[in-house]
Amino acid sequence: MEGALQRQSEERDSGIMTTQPSADEVSHLAVDIGGSLIKLVYSSIDPNDGLDDKGKKSSEEFSRVPNDNNDYPVLCGRLHFAKFETSKINDCLEFISSKQLHRRGRWHHEASGQDKDIIKATGGGAYRFADLFKEKLGVSLDKVDEMDCLVSGVNFLLNAVHPEAFTYIDGREEYVQIDHNDLYPYLLVNIGSGVSMIKVDGDGKFERVSGTSIGGGTFWGLGRLLTKCKSFDELLEMSHNGNNRVIDMLVGDIYGGMDYTKIGLTSTAIASSFGKAVSENKELGDYSPEDISRSLLRMISNNVGQISYLNALRFGLKRIFFGGFFIRGHAYTMDTISVAVHFWSKGEAKAMFLKHEGFLGALGAFMSYETHGLDGKITA
Amino acid sequence: MRSCLPLLPGSALRKRCFGVNKRSIVLKRTTKRKKVHSGGCKERDRGLVEKLEVMASPTEDHPPIGIDDINDESKKKKLNTDIVERESGGGEREMGHSIHRSGSRPQLDLSKAAIQGNFEEKDPTILLPNQSDDISHLALDIGGSLIKLVYFSRQEDRSTNGRRKKSLKEKFGVSNVNRRSYPILGGRLHFVKFETAKINECLDFISSKQLHRGGMDARHWNSDAPNNENAVIKATGGGAFKFADLFKERLGVSIDKEDEMGCLVSGANFLLKAIRHEAFTHMEGQKEFVQIDTNDLFPYLLVNIGSGVSMIKVDGDGKFQRVSGTNVGGGTYWGLGKLLTKCKSFDELLELSQRGDNRTIDMLVGDIYGGMDYSKIGLSASTIASSFGKAISENKNLEDYRPEDISLSLLRMISYNIGQIAYLNALRFGLKRIFFGGFFIRGHAYTMDTISFAVQFWSKGDAQAMFLRHEGFLGALGAFMSYEKHGLDDLMVHHLVERFPMGAPYTGGKIHGPPLGDLNEKISWMEKFVQKGTEITAPVPMAPPGTTGLGGFEVPSSKGDTLRSDASNLNVGVLHLVPTLEVFPLLADPKTYEPNTIDIADHGELEYWFTVLSKHLPDLVDKAVASEGGTEDAKRRGDAFARAFSAHLARLMEEPAAYGKLGLANLLELREECLREFQFVDAYRSIKQRENEASLAVLPDLLMELDSMNEEARLLALIEGVLAANIFDWGSRACVDLYHKGTIIEIYRMSRNKMQRPWLVDDFDVFKERILGSGDKQPHPHKKALLFVDNSGADVVLGMLPLARELLRRGTEVVLVANSLPALNDVTAMEIPDIVAEAAKHCDILRRAAEAGGLLVDAMINATDVNKENSSSVPLMVVENGCGSPCIDLRQVSSELASAAKNADLVILEGMGRALHTNYDARFKCDALKLAMVKNQRLAEKLINGNIYDCVCRYEPSNSKLQSSSLC
Repeated sequence: MEGALQRQSEERDSGIMTTQPSADEVSHLAVDIGGSLIKLVYSSIDPNDGLDDKGKKSSEEFSRVPNDNNDYPVLCGRLHFAKFETSKINDCLEFISSKQLHRRGRWHHEASGQDKDIIKATGGGAYRFADLFKEKLGVSLDKVDEMDCLVSGVNFLLNAVHPEAFTYIDGREEYVQIDHNDLYPYLLVNIGSGVSMIKVDGDGKFERVSGTSIGGGTFWGLGRLLTKCKSFDELLEMSHNGNNRVIDMLVGDIYGGMDYTKIGLTSTAIASSFGKAVSENKELGDYSPEDISRSLLRMISNNVGQISYLNALRFGLKRIFFGGFFIRGHAYTMDTISVAVHFWSKGEAKAMFLKHEGFLGALGAFMSYETHGLDGKITA
Repeated sequence: MRSCLPLLPGSALRKRCFGVNKRSIVLKRTTKRKKVHSGGCKERDRGLVEKLEVMASPTEDHPPIGIDDINDESKKKKLNTDIVERESGGGEREMGHSIHRSGSRPQLDLSKAAIQGNFEEKDPTILLPNQSDDISHLALDIGGSLIKLVYFSRQEDRSTNGRRKKSLKEKFGVSNVNRRSYPILGGRLHFVKFETAKINECLDFISSKQLHRGGMDARHWNSDAPNNENAVIKATGGGAFKFADLFKERLGVSIDKEDEMGCLVSGANFLLKAIRHEAFTHMEGQKEFVQIDTNDLFPYLLVNIGSGVSMIKVDGDGKFQRVSGTNVGGGTYWGLGKLLTKCKSFDELLELSQRGDNRTIDMLVGDIYGGMDYSKIGLSASTIASSFGKAISENKNLEDYRPEDISLSLLRMISYNIGQIAYLNALRFGLKRIFFGGFFIRGHAYTMDTISFAVQFWSKGDAQAMFLRHEGFLGALGAFMSYEKHGLDDLMVHHLVERFPMGAPYTGGKIHGPPLGDLNEKISWMEKFVQKGTEITAPVPMAPPGTTGLGGFEVPSSKGDTLRSDASNLNVGVLHLVPTLEVFPLLADPKTYEPNTIDIADHGELEYWFTVLSKHLPDLVDKAVASEGGTEDAKRRGDAFARAFSAHLARLMEEPAAYGKLGLANLLELREECLREFQFVDAYRSIKQRENEASLAVLPDLLMELDSMNEEARLLALIEGVLAANIFDWGSRACVDLYHKGTIIEIYRMSRNKMQRPWLVDDFDVFKERILGSGDKQPHPHKKALLFVDNSGADVVLGMLPLARELLRRGTEVVLVANSLPALNDVTAMEIPDIVAEAAKHCDILRRAAEAGGLLVDAMINATDVNKENSSSVPLMVVENGCGSPCIDLRQVSSELASAAKNADLVILEGMGRALHTNYDARFKCDALKLAMVKNQRLAEKLINGNIYDCVCRYEPSNSKLQSSSLC
């Protein structure tokens, strides 16, 4: 598919091109203010399809597709995605301000005056920073339920964007075509600071069935304490070069290098994350940050994968989609989650990922504008 | 000794007069009894065994009785057997004498040897107090941080058949009396822990007790087998490999490695089946013991939290599967904790967590949602949204966080996660119960709470986490069970009695005090312990209760550095395996039977009894010391006893669940056991004797008085007499005070005169109708009555004995059921024949019945002939109840009592301990009469809404469904 996601390093966003809207040059801004990151989705009118100056696809294009027998007016333009660290919310506010995104926060010209200074927002920070937005930008945040946003975001992506879902096995992404009629029910695992597991039965039909507090925030938080990394990405980056065997106690460490086949564990299986730190006479400084990061990543990915699988099993769900900023398209993360799901399901289940995984909430918030023009009819 | 008491010095005086040692006193006692009758019998012997064993004090220096004293052939034979069995040497009751080994075997330590039982017996057992106990098994679980030992010491019933027993055998049929085919060996299971880092202490311990010499397939099960030099010890845990060479080198034994998971499962199965109330739940700091129906135990999920976590689905004995696990376990907690806090030990880290506040590091739902609950998804503001999530958004470094907070965040993160995954797996396999064990838990209250919380949270209250009291010993127990013949297979709940001796190698989370070899060491250690306060690792912490609830979780106030991190841990006692114990067959429903009437888990109740027992303690110590002749040694032991028992009480006040599910009966028995532990064989010995004599002196007059009455008046007078005489109770403070106001008979008369009906609980008329009939209807007499007697002196002599006599007169067989071991001034089964013999001198009914029951065999040629000649009289018999407590738990009675009960149709329980504190609500298959005077204001108020000295006469005919006592 031509609409491959592009990373624009400067703006940290990527766009999705939509078809021509029926409306004028207006755009929306929706924000998802999480515990560690703020995600922005905004639309801009770009009548010219597709290619940027450098000839690269910088946006994704949506076009109308026949769906059942109804046509819907669809926005034509670009959906932009941007991220900021929540701790640097002022950067975010400046970004909004500089682009005047909050000034265009309404869809219809004829929108009433009250509506004009409203931004749809989700995530916990929508409450926490409401005053700040009011003060700095003069806009009110209209809080949209986080779960609703997540789910509608994912439903939109899975229905409209192809390819959106993929599996990640042995370092290879493999896009999966999902029959829209056979999409539900599925398990949506959103790995933000914490992890929510949501059983989705249809549009607007979902239930948070589980979750865990061991999530992205744990990775980053513990990682910061243990490695003095300055950013999440840096920490993630380091894990590439790490070796978790230095710190993790493996089955082989306990059983003298032999597999403990009786219980189906190989000698390289992790028996106890960070378990080796116990017995060795080493201090924190004696371990390389890379190894620590790797162990941490595996611990958390494994755990999320396991709990997700157990919940999918519990509710008889065929598919598990993982999203949230923790994944970030990070190969090793996806790999460990995939391995965990594979391991615990004995190969019966596969972890699936979403290309726009970080922006589900923001996208959902965006969708919550009364008439956002994205309903249904979008495809690649 | 209270000077105001007209106390005959009794044995103390005798001891001084004759200048004999304690051992001799026992012999003298038995010799003396012989003059009256020769009721050498099993329980009597056992009592003596106990006495002799405990009386042999290391500080005494008595000449041993030579082997030459014994000349019967059978004795030699017995001796030889003992030699073969005992050659292993120094055991746990080594009593301070080292065992001198010579090259030739067999060899015995004959110091202080004594003959047990009567000289007349055909094959009296020779007791060798300085010979070690037979230690039969040892199994180890060598973990990364702790070594757990389970070992078995054999305490066989070495007594021979006494005459009373023989006659009982004839009475009750051979089947159950002293059955020799027990698959279970009597003995004790000990649980000990050592730090793996101090493995040499462990090896010394094993070596000093010669535990490794008593390997399973060695001599004890097969006397012909030569001493196996290639002894094998079963072991599990990672260290079983690591330290195999060390064991070989130091002890000359090989380690036989057992599968870890198999051991865990068989250990857990054993505990859950054999130990009552082994499992407990732990919510918001409250432990609640749970009895699991053993028929409904499987399948369950066993979650073992070691370095990693294994989740095992258990379907039965030896049937299990590891279904899941997680790599986020104890190793993660400790490993990460070590990196983050620089803690030096797991326990230190755990302890830090108790003072932590995870809100500084964890991102809570409230942090994200601005303090509001995110109620839509059922999360409260305090729910952790992201463990360590706050560490990202703040500009802080590791050093800026308190180690306490880090530890707590880690603990909650890992505990919640384990609880969640465990619940999901239980759900997946449809398992009703989840048991958590492993070193991560260590009885740590907060850990258990977080896991419980997680399970409850995720299951929405449908599932509960459960924990095991012997949690740390699953692996070692399982290894123990892996011996081909471990003797525990057929063990039933009622065969086990758990005791909590002071100074037994302690088995809480932290390590034991020194392995105490003998009483002297124990006392010295107690003395030191008190001198230095809590500096010494105490088996029982003296720290005052200071645990407070905070936010639903146990966050104890800071107790300083002396606090052991496992203050909330549970004590693990010594398991006494008593194969002769049985469930009392007349219990209407043994499954629902609960002996204790009042639940002292209630803190107010516990506090009350704490005060009562504490106040009573000085008086008890006086008596105990006096009973041992008031010697310096006795005083020293008395002090040690007082300290030990106070420590027990303090421990219970601190952690009411420390010793498991605890009823008043257990508490009172604990005191008796503690006395015995410090070798006070019978603190009330002289008092009992004096009172018996005084009462027996007035008995003839009383009997004459009774015989002059018509039967209706007599029956009432008899019941009044039982209630009146029940006032003589040294366990009751109120009554002890009464003693100063008059002589026994004066008090008895005064008391009986006050017996105005109606009593507060008064079913006398129903009972009377059953006994005497109404109108012309003559009822069938009861076939056999079991009379559970209480105190010595007036209580038994002027109260119960006349009642027994009345029943005998009416053609009812009477079995007097008395304690096996002394408790307060309660009469023991050993003492009753003397009393009956004395009473029989003045009463034909009693004499003939006693003869028929074989109680007076001395006077006759032999019991069997007596039976034939005196078939006209129904027999009067005495059986021991199998316990040494002022109360009675009818789930665990002697086999002798159990068989005596089989065709009984009337049970009479007398006294506060057996009829009120316990069994007040017990239902029986036969008629039951409960008689007691309430000598405790609080109990009177609580139980019958009455006052002190009110009386209870509760009669429950067998056919009544739910008989309601007539409360006035």
